[in-house]
Amino acid sequence: MKNYGSRIFLSIFWIVLGIVLCACHFAGLIEEYWSSMGFAFIVVGILQVIRQIRYRTNKDYQEKFDTEVYDERNRFLRNKAWAWAGYLFVLIAAVSTIVFKLMDMEECMMMASGSVCLLLVLYWVCFLILRKKY
Amino acid sequence: MKNRIEEIRKEKNIRQEEFAAALGVSRQTISSLENGRYNPSILLAHKIAVYFGMTIEDVFIFDEET
Repeated sequence: MKNYGSRIFLSIFWIVLGIVLCACHFAGLIEEYWSSMGFAFIVVGILQVIRQIRYRTNKDYQEKFDTEVYDERNRFLRNKAWAWAGYLFVLIAAVSTIVFKLMDMEECMMMASGSVCLLLVLYWVCFLILRKKY
Repeated sequence: MKNRIEEIRKEKNIRQEEFAAALGVSRQTISSLENGRYNPSILLAHKIAVYFGMTIEDVFIFDEET
């Protein structure tokens, strides 16, 4: 696990942020929505701290974790899965754009077409950056 | 790309788990390599060849059609 120190700091940050959000809700400063989010932050933070402590103290887990994360086939699969997810997202959003247009749902149509455009712009920006890098 | 990983590994009496641990990859990766479902990076191919004490060409069979 790289950047162990900053990871544990980030986990503690989520816990503190969660506590602050919950406290603000109980003080009547913010809506319940934010306290629910705060509770989720606390749970995620605690789980991450537990995982990081386990990584630090359990040699077997550390080895297993590193192999799973840095294994080149797993990396390849993760990249491939992201690529497939991206293609599928564009396809679904493009079909949704047409369907929403036919159903006269202008707002949804604009959101679906906007997401396709955003993803394509992001793709080209990433492609140009990667082309310079490699 | 075909390879002789399984054949050489069995010849040398090495278990998949042992082999995977020595290369720093998962056992599933070794299994995929042996079945020809996954082609390794040049770095992993080099590591495998070095582990067996052979050259990359001895372990991997470059076939332009596959």
